[in-house]
Amino acid sequence: MVALGINELTADWASAKWLLWIGLYLSLGIIVPWAMTRAWAHQHHSPLRPRLRQVFQNGELGLVGLMLAISVIWDLQKSEYTSDTIALGSVFLAMAGIMAGAVWIESYCRRTTGTRFRPDRAWRDSRNLTLLVFSLAIVTEILLDRFAKVTAL
Amino acid sequence: MRLADPAATLAYVSFLFGLLLVVFPVSFPHIIVQNWQNARLTPIMILFTVSLNLGLYLSVAHQRSSKPGILAAACLGSVPVFLLAGLNLLLQATIAHTLAGNIPNALARVDEEILAHTYFTLIAAIFGPFLLIRLGQQFRKNIP
Repeated sequence: MVALGINELTADWASAKWLLWIGLYLSLGIIVPWAMTRAWAHQHHSPLRPRLRQVFQNGELGLVGLMLAISVIWDLQKSEYTSDTIALGSVFLAMAGIMAGAVWIESYCRRTTGTRFRPDRAWRDSRNLTLLVFSLAIVTEILLDRFAKVTAL
Repeated sequence: MRLADPAATLAYVSFLFGLLLVVFPVSFPHIIVQNWQNARLTPIMILFTVSLNLGLYLSVAHQRSSKPGILAAACLGSVPVFLLAGLNLLLQATIAHTLAGNIPNALARVDEEILAHTYFTLIAAIFGPFLLIRLGQQFRKNIP
């Protein structure tokens, strides 16, 4: 690894495009929807000042996690890793994404059928599972970036 | 047991892996590859994942004031071992396949494959047993 000049490969970490990628998801998936509720309240002169957890209290954050997982699976499929590694990564990303999405589905079913529903639990579950998807996505993107540099040598 | 309970800890483990990869882009992967070549990586990962899983399970049981079950503990102890051993065999097959092909820069590719495989296996060995326990709970609930 050292003989192949990995130092040169990692020297441009400053470019860190995965940081931009994280920023995009954070802003477009989480901050923009929250800011839009604020803007709506301001426009309609409403006293509504929702906090982040109130905007996503029905587990909607789980859906953001699922979308994120899908985009990383897509990147993984396009990579030059062997099929076994791609399959392994895709399966675990998909499982984590589905579990995150399931929080929203469960909360929707509970609310619709009038079964006992606790918004605090839906928020906590979706937040934790989305955090997991997010961390998996970041590390996978870092690994993909490294691999792309190795194959480009 | 809810999947969200171990998810946060697993996310921190994953972040730590990513951080080590960014801060030590040469030495951290080198340590992993060297330990894999010396056949020490799988036992270390088994020890780490089983202890982490049991610690997580006990802390969740303590938080919920519930009694830890034997079946769940057995699942947490055995599933990571089977997963890690099985996926290690898969990695060996992957490496043999990479080296057999006439691919340029094959050795560097193999190192990156080992790194990615180690990461995904680590995640699988921590998340897998909790997923099984959760599915088992769901199945038990559905039995009339």
